[in-house]
Amino acid sequence: MENSFPIIVELETPRNADDIFTFTKSVLEKILKYKDLDLAQQRRIKLILIELVTNSIKHSYDGTSQIKLVIDHPSLTIQKFEKGLQIEFSSSSQQIPFEDIDKTLKISFSEQNKHHIQTLDKYKFRFLNPYIEKGLNIEHMPEHFGFYIITLASDSFIYQYDPDVKENRYIVNINT
Amino acid sequence: MKTRKQKIDGVLAIVIEEREANLSRSEQFKELVQQEINAGERKLIISFINVDYVDSSFLGALVAILKSLLPLDGKLVLIGMNDDIVNLFQLTRLDKIFSLKDSLENALKEF
Repeated sequence: MENSFPIIVELETPRNADDIFTFTKSVLEKILKYKDLDLAQQRRIKLILIELVTNSIKHSYDGTSQIKLVIDHPSLTIQKFEKGLQIEFSSSSQQIPFEDIDKTLKISFSEQNKHHIQTLDKYKFRFLNPYIEKGLNIEHMPEHFGFYIITLASDSFIYQYDPDVKENRYIVNINT
Repeated sequence: MKTRKQKIDGVLAIVIEEREANLSRSEQFKELVQQEINAGERKLIISFINVDYVDSSFLGALVAILKSLLPLDGKLVLIGMNDDIVNLFQLTRLDKIFSLKDSLENALKEF
């Protein structure tokens, strides 16, 4: 049967961490109905979904969020929407709204959670591929891996805040 | 959090008896292992043989445990990981930091 792309699938995320794995497997099954994916792509999608939902349970107002899948050729986009306050970085980092656009910034959420980002507009930025400072050393390894994993597992990971409706949007692209 | 402990030739093997090593268990697991370290254990094996997946929270707990153990001249070996979990360690390059082995027998050779 021919599918008309893009296929849009909208889902509510679970509130309980112990339901994440089952949710992730069911989402992957939905995607596989429309797209052939190799094992490596399937693993990347599972990691991204696990971390997006884990992040919501930890940080959203009520522990829930909405996932929107845009299944297209040759890409898959996983978007997560949740109500709440915008992402805040540690006090030493530039904050949203950004003044400088299209700049690479080094930001941190904590001592153990540092990232490089590219500002795309006042309320939007892209996570850049992390590099390990001072070589691979346990002392310099982070202890917060959520955004780090999504960045590494995806081809593009963008955060956007809509101040009018107080909504956080996480937009993850995977080339398929 | 369900775990099973076994002492083999001076090495403490902790088997995680949960399918999900995630946010709801990471803090408890970190405290459980930290108690063993505080009690003097320095040679540790953690088995993931029953675990389906590991999330970022649990990964952070493992990093914290290793950071605590290494200054004490301790050693930690991880075993029994499925392909998805090994892939996560490779993606984050933690496979270069942690010692990953396929069996208890091979892990014991590391001590």
